[in-house]
Amino acid sequence: MLKKKSFIILTSFLMIFTLMVTGCGGESQDAATESQPLIVAQRSDAVVLDPHANNDQASSRVMRQIYSNLINQNESMELEPGLAESWEAIDELTFEFNLRQGVKFHNGEELTANDVAFTLNRALGSSHVSHIVGAINPDGIVVVDPYTIRIATHEPFAPLLAHLAHTATGILNEKAVTEAGEDYSQSPVGTGPYKLSNWLVGETVELVIFEDYYDEANKAKIEKVVFKAIAEDGNRAIELETGGIDIAYDIIGTDVDRVANHSDLAMVRDMNLSTTYVGFNAEKEPFNDVRVRQAINYAVDMDLIVDVVYLGTGEPSRGPLGGNVWASNQNLKPYGYDVEKAKELMKEAGLENGFKTKIWTNQNQQRIDIAEILQNQLKDINIEAEVSIMDWGAYLDATAAGEHDMFILGWVTVTGDPDYGLYPLFHSKTHGDGGNRTFYTNERVNELLDLARVNVDPAIREAAYIEVQEIVRDEAPWIFTWTGEELTGIRDNVKGFKNHPAGHHKLWSVYFE
Amino acid sequence: MHKYILRRLLMLIPVMLGVSFIVFTMMYITPGDPARIMLGESAPTEEVEKFREELGLNDPFFFQYGRFVKNLVIHQDIGRSYTSKRPVTIEILSRFPNTLKLATLGIVVAVVLGIPTGIISATKQYSIFDNAAMVAALLGVSMPNFWQGLMLILLFSVHLGWLPSSGFSSYKEMILPALTLGTSSAAIITRMTRSSMLEVIRQDYIRTARAKGQTESVVINRHALKNALIPIVTVIGLQFGYLLGGAVLTESIFGISGVGRLMVESINARNFPVVQGGVLFIALTFSIVNLMVDILYSFLDPRIKSQYK
Repeated sequence: MLKKKSFIILTSFLMIFTLMVTGCGGESQDAATESQPLIVAQRSDAVVLDPHANNDQASSRVMRQIYSNLINQNESMELEPGLAESWEAIDELTFEFNLRQGVKFHNGEELTANDVAFTLNRALGSSHVSHIVGAINPDGIVVVDPYTIRIATHEPFAPLLAHLAHTATGILNEKAVTEAGEDYSQSPVGTGPYKLSNWLVGETVELVIFEDYYDEANKAKIEKVVFKAIAEDGNRAIELETGGIDIAYDIIGTDVDRVANHSDLAMVRDMNLSTTYVGFNAEKEPFNDVRVRQAINYAVDMDLIVDVVYLGTGEPSRGPLGGNVWASNQNLKPYGYDVEKAKELMKEAGLENGFKTKIWTNQNQQRIDIAEILQNQLKDINIEAEVSIMDWGAYLDATAAGEHDMFILGWVTVTGDPDYGLYPLFHSKTHGDGGNRTFYTNERVNELLDLARVNVDPAIREAAYIEVQEIVRDEAPWIFTWTGEELTGIRDNVKGFKNHPAGHHKLWSVYFE
Repeated sequence: MHKYILRRLLMLIPVMLGVSFIVFTMMYITPGDPARIMLGESAPTEEVEKFREELGLNDPFFFQYGRFVKNLVIHQDIGRSYTSKRPVTIEILSRFPNTLKLATLGIVVAVVLGIPTGIISATKQYSIFDNAAMVAALLGVSMPNFWQGLMLILLFSVHLGWLPSSGFSSYKEMILPALTLGTSSAAIITRMTRSSMLEVIRQDYIRTARAKGQTESVVINRHALKNALIPIVTVIGLQFGYLLGGAVLTESIFGISGVGRLMVESINARNFPVVQGGVLFIALTFSIVNLMVDILYSFLDPRIKSQYK
């Protein structure tokens, strides 16, 4: 009897539950829309959609679709006219920009030079992006007429045009910002090809086509784009495979082959602007001896690290800049793996018996793996390294204070201009949390970096940067580790997608076949 | 009874203040400058300092805490998120529906699986069903959620293609997260139901009920189960309260935007206002669930009801 009753109870419970879940399952099947949205998955949701309120990658990827800049930077990192149809240098401090006429914001307002002036002044007041626009002199932002604006810098600043192509300098509408007040970051108004339609915080950002987009020839081809946050790396690949999404950003090394070999999917792979490096504290013994830093560079098998840690994605770095950055010196000779040479250098430095040191990293699995491989390989030259894993905040504080021996960090030369990828990292003015956490100092490097920053002649700048890279390569304040790659998975009916080296891929050229 | 509930609700005030003080202190002494974390390694020092000033982080500890309490008590304002600039209440409340749905579905799965299995195991002690159920319960408790979630995705999304592997808007999308979250609680509830039932069915009054000629189902369901329910309800309440605090791993695996993920992200970003607000909110929901469990006792056992008076 009991057996029968229990069975009935259990079966009833299970039936109710099954009915509950399957009965409602039809809902999602009916939810497919007619105009097939483009669903793009990235690791996290946008934090803000106000270019001056944060500078994270997820937000920038969405904002790239919403805002337009005075100047665009294409996938080859070349500068092209954007909202400014032309520009010219008036003197060594000032550029004059001629704006397109009849450009509409998403709220119907027309773009004028006042909006540009408002945007730049607002950016200058934001701690999040002032490092992008900091060179601009607020008194030098002059509206000449509604379609002409002059922008002057405090000192001559050659990379200004590249900085004006950064997502942080997307042009805002003064009226929309003023009206929205503190809530502007949730109600963006730009002149881009897509406008915000709906935002489920932490989950999805929905954008719809902006019919009045100024660039007729490049109007978006897909009605609706949905950015979906999928934090779990493996799940983005699975969702792509099962057709839940159309594009997956940041496919991880373990999934690359699976996506590439899948009959319905394809990988779009391009080198990006990021670099990972192991820095030495160049002010601290024994790392203040260039021979020790060079010896460690020779003692590390970088091909092994790229194969094991990054599973063959990206490539070993030759120097401080990746190949996509303008004036990057690709003729630099990589150190190569040569333990004998490393031993020789250690002997010359009087350290053939090695020393004890610490390698710091934050809680980033790939960096932890690098640290452990280094720990193992440095034993060959009698260096006993201890790996210390720190919380991100504490890590930044401690490396800025110069408490470290060796540390692992990354950098993205997001403007594509070498000034951004060299000045903060190797100029002695930026020691500590200005970016130069190796505390490296070289007067010639300082001089060249200053020269290339203020000189607008591309040939002079290029020569200066080539020399800086040679010096830095030889003096080795870093172990030049890894240059990253944009790894995007797409379904095979998605056409027209191109990776942008900065990671802010344009989606308005994408269409379904 | 009303007085008891009112007293318990009033007691929440010092509890919340205590919680807020502890969280505030912990966040304050944890290394890592929120301004530096938010602006990133590329921001110049003077900008970081300017941002610290804007956020009021240069003020002394007690001044900062006092300002927080004052805003909370007088203006019912927990502040705005450092990163998204949204009001903290909106940050939390926009994610809470997902957490509530996930926790409710998880606990439904747990109860539906756990209680019947526990009852059958107890009434058929040492049978094959009992042994199998106990092994399954042990597995359920021991299996890490993230692993189980991935295995379910592998089976139902990748191989069979029946269910989506992420999202949380349709019921179909809710099945895998609910199963992932529910099974470990189900295992705990099964074990608790079994042991509680075993204790009760050995009591004299059960023997008496059987001697009176009651059917086995009446003996088990009316006499035994009701008396065995108090510890089971306690466990369910605790599990539910715990799930309401956010199931970080399940949320991460299935891409669900819930309170748990918000908390982890906020702690990593040293987003003090959101961490403060989130912990207070979780403490509040946990206390309310506990209170509801206590009230439920009185319906299960009239002796307890009399103590409340």
